[in-house]
Amino acid sequence: MMAIPSLKKETKTQEIKRLPDPPYVLLSLLGYQEPLKPVIASGAHVQKYQLIAQSETHWSIKLHAPISGIANVVEYNGQRYLKITNDFKNDSIVCTPPKVASLNNQDILKVIRDAGIVGSGGAGFPTHIKYDVSDRPITHFIINGAECEPYLSADYALMNQAENHLWKTVQVIQKLLQADQVVLAIEKQHRELKKKMEHQIAQLNINIKIQLLGNDYPQGSELQLIKAVAGKIIPKGSITAHHGVVVSNIGTIAAIANALYLGIPYTERIVTISGEKARTKGNFLLKIGTPISYLLKQMGQDWLPSDHQIILGGPMMGSPIAHSEESISKGTGGVLLLKHLYQKTFNCIQCGYCADVCPQKLMPMEFARHAANDNIDGLQHFNLKSCIECGACAYVCPSDVPLISSILTGKQLIKTK
Amino acid sequence: MSLNPYIKPKKGNTSFVMLDVIIALLPLVIAGYFAYGMQAMWLLLIASGCALATDVIFSALLLKQYRSALDGSAIVTALLLCFTLSPITPWYMVAFGAVAAILFGKITWGGLGKNRFNPALIGREFMAVFFPVVMTSAGIWATKDYIQTPATNLFPGLSNEYLSSYLSGLVYKTNGAMGEYSIALIALGGFYLLLRKRISWHIPLALLAVFFGSFWFIENGQNYSYSIAGVLLGTLFMATDMPSSPTNNYGKLYYGSMIGLVAFIFIIGKVSYEYMSYAILLLNGFSYKISEVFRPKVWGEKLDYKKRVEHIFYLTLSILGCTLAILSLHYYDMVSYLIYIYIAYIVLKFNFSFIKNITNPI
Repeated sequence: MMAIPSLKKETKTQEIKRLPDPPYVLLSLLGYQEPLKPVIASGAHVQKYQLIAQSETHWSIKLHAPISGIANVVEYNGQRYLKITNDFKNDSIVCTPPKVASLNNQDILKVIRDAGIVGSGGAGFPTHIKYDVSDRPITHFIINGAECEPYLSADYALMNQAENHLWKTVQVIQKLLQADQVVLAIEKQHRELKKKMEHQIAQLNINIKIQLLGNDYPQGSELQLIKAVAGKIIPKGSITAHHGVVVSNIGTIAAIANALYLGIPYTERIVTISGEKARTKGNFLLKIGTPISYLLKQMGQDWLPSDHQIILGGPMMGSPIAHSEESISKGTGGVLLLKHLYQKTFNCIQCGYCADVCPQKLMPMEFARHAANDNIDGLQHFNLKSCIECGACAYVCPSDVPLISSILTGKQLIKTK
Repeated sequence: MSLNPYIKPKKGNTSFVMLDVIIALLPLVIAGYFAYGMQAMWLLLIASGCALATDVIFSALLLKQYRSALDGSAIVTALLLCFTLSPITPWYMVAFGAVAAILFGKITWGGLGKNRFNPALIGREFMAVFFPVVMTSAGIWATKDYIQTPATNLFPGLSNEYLSSYLSGLVYKTNGAMGEYSIALIALGGFYLLLRKRISWHIPLALLAVFFGSFWFIENGQNYSYSIAGVLLGTLFMATDMPSSPTNNYGKLYYGSMIGLVAFIFIIGKVSYEYMSYAILLLNGFSYKISEVFRPKVWGEKLDYKKRVEHIFYLTLSILGCTLAILSLHYYDMVSYLIYIYIAYIVLKFNFSFIKNITNPI
């Protein structure tokens, strides 16, 4: 864990703004570990909120149309998308919210599943499977409001402007999980939120504990969060519910709130647009599938790949876009315009900074050594599989040793062994 | 395509690490100037110049690296080498030491960061082996005639004479090697490095605690003489040298305490000058193994304590065995053979990895 500049100042207190609907949306047909299959014919007219694709495995992830128009399957860079060309008629299917009070557990899970809700943090794990804990005792239901990535303030904006539905949803989930404790974890730097939310929660007579955590990176990483809140150290790769803990991002809760109280599927989310090269900065409520090219146009800016790179997600764990037709997905919390890093690579000087900051207590320099030698035994000996790819080691490395690329190659080596 | 992260701390790269070490060493350069004036400065300049030139030439020739020599590490090595030498060491010996330190201490290992041993101390041992008469003669420490600013009582206000002379000795004195004139400034430099997180407290604390604790523990501990300034200099600037010390905190604690213990054994074994460099160089050789044995407990994984205790036991046993071996070699005046073996080893190793294109990858 390490201190890292938060860089949220410019966007965090900004109100959530809406943009006009884009002329078309691009919805990735990549689900959780498997492709989604369109349920409509290519070229068909779809209504807003209509189910347009779903997975056929037990993950059963669903995808809905955020706008009305003509849907087509297109391909960019070998990846399949559903492109919906907006007819600007806003022709929506009728959304009737369920009667929340009369829903039993199976009904709630079904609502979550049918609204296509997956974790909004980025990994995209289907939420209805996470919440299906059967009769396992759950001691902690943790809501992750620790947005530890620099620049990103979407979760902050969401909590800052939280509506009562959000907290009622938390209560519904608490009942579903039969959790002993509900804890909303936020970073110390946002302590002003605590009072505000506590006041709101007290008025609703809901029992949510708001806990302040350190400002370290990566505080919002699931395993480190669980340790900070519940005091449990869970190895990577095990299911947290088996240890009595369920963690959900605050953004996921907001998506569930929309499904429960408005009957709207997961078709929009809050995204932070920021970065040193961004002309317009702020938090925006965007349709899932909004193409980056459209966003740039709205911001009055062009993408100059020689001048800056565009990152989807945070600057520590996000990924750069390869072409401007990439789009906002259910897990995208930010669009950042950052200048290219000038990497000045030296030899590793064995300073051990990477081992100091590693939240998983690994020795990242050994991954670089053994990945370069294709030494699979060495990689396993130093527990590469426990790495969460948070990027803290590569951030702190004074020699710019290619740690993340070694880690990724190393994991690939182990997989193909 | 570039990989995450997409932000980096400003002014944090390896050149800045080296710059910090140089900043921490500057006060000692000034103290050296006070004590021996240009006599000391010339040696520092010659050493730095030779080190830089060697680094530039041989990095280009042997490693095909053309800009890496300017990262500042050559200056650090040169300064540290000089700080272990007498201010009246002949200049050609200093030049030889600086060249040997860079060439055999760093370049032949594959460049910056890949060396297993502290280059400055390697340079010093090369000098001791190739100029044994001068390096071990008493004459080289007879520096009285060259003193620029004699040590005086800096605390005349104190009525207690013993206390005032003791305190003055901490701040400024003129005997010993070039880096040993001011314990206060050594501590200041160490403190700066600690604040800048260029060293961690683990090695110095463990080393000093074990070293002084051992003398306190034995009978007649106060009868053994050693240079406190020299021990402190070695502790703060040489034992903490990044490439040659372990990379994790428990490893650093163990490494520090073993240097303290081994240095203590050398002193009671009557190694009169080289106790600190022998101890550090010996532990340098074990530091990779120490990093591995003491690697941190991985998140959520179980630690096999029984196995770890066993590893630590054998590690300690081998370190103590090597200590006794070096002590015996020292009695029979055969330490120089270790350096000959080292040269043969490093030349062979370099040629082997050069021909087979095996480089220490990181």
